Amino acid sequence: MDILKEFETNLAYYFSEVLEKPFAKPCWIFFSLSHKCTYSCQMCGVVKILKGHELCLKDVKNVFEEISVWDWDFTIVITGGEPFLRPDIFDIFKQAQKLKLKIEVVSNGSLINQAIAEKIMFSGLKNIAISLDGACEQTHDSIREKWAFKKAVEAIKYLVAAKKAIGSGPQISVWTTIMKENVAELFDIIPLIKDLGVECLVYHPVIVAQEDMQNTSPHARFWLKEKDIHKLKEQIDRIVKYQRNNGLVAFLHDPYLWIKHFKGELTKREWKCNPFVFTNIGPDGEVRSCGAAFGNINKMSLQECLNTAEAYRARNTMKNCDKPCLQTCWANPQANSLPGIVNKLVYDLKNSNINREAKRELLDIALSRLIEYEGILKNA
Amino acid sequence: MLNLKEVIFSITNRCNLRCKMCDIPSGTIEELSTEQWMNVIKDASCLGAQTIVFSGGEPLLREDLFKLISFTRKNNLSACITSNGHLINELVAQSLHVSGANVVNISIEGSRQTHDYLRGSGSFDKALAGLENLIKYKIESTIASTVSRYNYKDLLNLLELAKDYGATTVRLQPFNAIFLKDAGRKSEFLIDKRDIQELDKIIRDFINLSKEYKISVNPMGYLLKIPVYLSGKNFYPDNCGALWYSCPINPNGDLFPCWIEGANNKLIGNVKKESLHELWLSEKRMKMVNSIIRDGCKGCLMSCYDEAFNSKLLRESVVENAKKFKKVADYKKVMNKIVQSFRSQITRLRLRYRFYISYRGSLFKVVARRLPNIFKKFRPLKQAKPAEKEVVLSQISQAKIKLKKAMRVL
Repeated sequence: MDILKEFETNLAYYFSEVLEKPFAKPCWIFFSLSHKCTYSCQMCGVVKILKGHELCLKDVKNVFEEISVWDWDFTIVITGGEPFLRPDIFDIFKQAQKLKLKIEVVSNGSLINQAIAEKIMFSGLKNIAISLDGACEQTHDSIREKWAFKKAVEAIKYLVAAKKAIGSGPQISVWTTIMKENVAELFDIIPLIKDLGVECLVYHPVIVAQEDMQNTSPHARFWLKEKDIHKLKEQIDRIVKYQRNNGLVAFLHDPYLWIKHFKGELTKREWKCNPFVFTNIGPDGEVRSCGAAFGNINKMSLQECLNTAEAYRARNTMKNCDKPCLQTCWANPQANSLPGIVNKLVYDLKNSNINREAKRELLDIALSRLIEYEGILKNA
Repeated sequence: MLNLKEVIFSITNRCNLRCKMCDIPSGTIEELSTEQWMNVIKDASCLGAQTIVFSGGEPLLREDLFKLISFTRKNNLSACITSNGHLINELVAQSLHVSGANVVNISIEGSRQTHDYLRGSGSFDKALAGLENLIKYKIESTIASTVSRYNYKDLLNLLELAKDYGATTVRLQPFNAIFLKDAGRKSEFLIDKRDIQELDKIIRDFINLSKEYKISVNPMGYLLKIPVYLSGKNFYPDNCGALWYSCPINPNGDLFPCWIEGANNKLIGNVKKESLHELWLSEKRMKMVNSIIRDGCKGCLMSCYDEAFNSKLLRESVVENAKKFKKVADYKKVMNKIVQSFRSQITRLRLRYRFYISYRGSLFKVVARRLPNIFKKFRPLKQAKPAEKEVVLSQISQAKIKLKKAMRVL
């Protein structure tokens, strides 16, 4: 049944984009809970833009209750500022656990001590990601703040130890932002975190201006210059080789696209946003996918926010966007082409163990779904 | 209805040079945005155009030029750029190559001394450096020159330069006063009547040398008219296509019937307010074109439709030879002469065709692009959505076939 569900999801994303109607629901819902943070990292604009806003527990709970009844496979990601600065963070986790929602959290690790690490293990999280931007203290601390590297490593150690002691808990992963400052040591992070016992590593290229995702100016401070590109290529070669043999690194897209991204040569053909995949709720309650906000959860439900005229406009802008920004959450490359979706279904069915009749039944349902969309498209 | 062939974008009035024969950069003007130009390109493609010429001012001063060029190429149009070559360093040449520019015209006026006198000191070396960079990236490069009193003795130098640097074409255009603010300065650039013969000889040498070097130049009929024109006389070719096949657009979006009529303030409309599609098919334009032709166009010798002069020459030579055929009894001699003249014309046409392949797109492409227009008068303007819908519908039917096949196989 998972094969069929995946097919239906991809089909919904594909036709949502073609028909510009939300047949699909977002599969990533980000909550930026608070603007407050323990650090003021140089590449992050959240602290500066969203000053003075905080999402209250009641609003979060309301949204959780609304989305818990969706018949859709999605993941909630809690970010901030620093989410562990909120005193009610574990209440939020508890609520999500109660409603059986998939939830992940991204933190800089500065507030995770032994007690909190143990508490996290029982909070029903699927994944906890710690940001680590360098393989040595000097690099990481120059990007973030003094002692940041030491604290992040300590946090990872506490989490790994707690997971070992308890025997279960969320996946412990590391997020690394690729930028000029750390391009030479991207690979060196791998042995470091492997020794620490981290289970997954995700790289993603830097966003230059949080307030304007489209602004990927090559003159910005963190942007890779032409002369640094060969370093990035070297690092990618090493990372890909390592990943093939040992795993650990999770690629969200072809890593060689990073080179094109930093050169400014990335085109829509190689990487395309699907405007329906991602939704972010800011500390001020504003809902957005990319660019301008199109609703506020203080005033209406999330579903209503996704159906406003502004939302249609914002998605149209995203659809016609010429500057793919290669972020981790905005795209669903599997749903970019109809032949690709169908081929994947057939391939998956070929390699599955279910019997012949069940396969035919699944194909029959898939065909009927396709015919439904065809009818809608013809009438549009 | 005649189709649009060529749209000339004067995308900016800004320029990094202050040349003696051009006063364009003196005024400031509000320029169209990237999206507005893109809309014009889309419309031009729908109207069946083949070429977009990016001219200026200096078009490379616009930061979005490469984006516009690649958009032009995406819409199946050829992109031709006219530049002074100063800004074409290796990176720019590479960007031009990547964005898919078909032809780049570099303005060179003759020897170093003449060029620097007309365009400012040091500009000759910079222009040549630009040309060199273009050729390095295998971009079809053309040397374009404005013939005037100052440089007519230097024309042969242009061919030498083209041969040395590997440019495929040299295009000449006599000086025209439309780009001057003060029309009184016109006489400064014209030649004396007693110099006509000398220039005529130079032009004939120019043609012969171009054959020897295998460099394509303007049609012979056009070149041979330059001396008389430069002494202050105007020509109107019977079959000038400028009014029928092309239109210039100013940086602010004003659309004119042709450059000369633009200088006379005959405005069709603005592409900001109406689309190119509407303006091109408007009654106002048809009326204006008809009135220009009825009242008699003053005439010019701009190189936009220089090929119009060639067919006339071909006709003239045939008629002339046919007259001789009646008088002289030695048929063989005359026949040989006719065959020879045809042969020379054909070799010239072949040389020119090499240029036009890159400039207007190959013959096959032109025909392929025209075919749908013959059957369907015009493609619908808002074609993006229906096209996507049709593509998706055909993809759905293919997917259905695939699923049914899988049902049988699995």
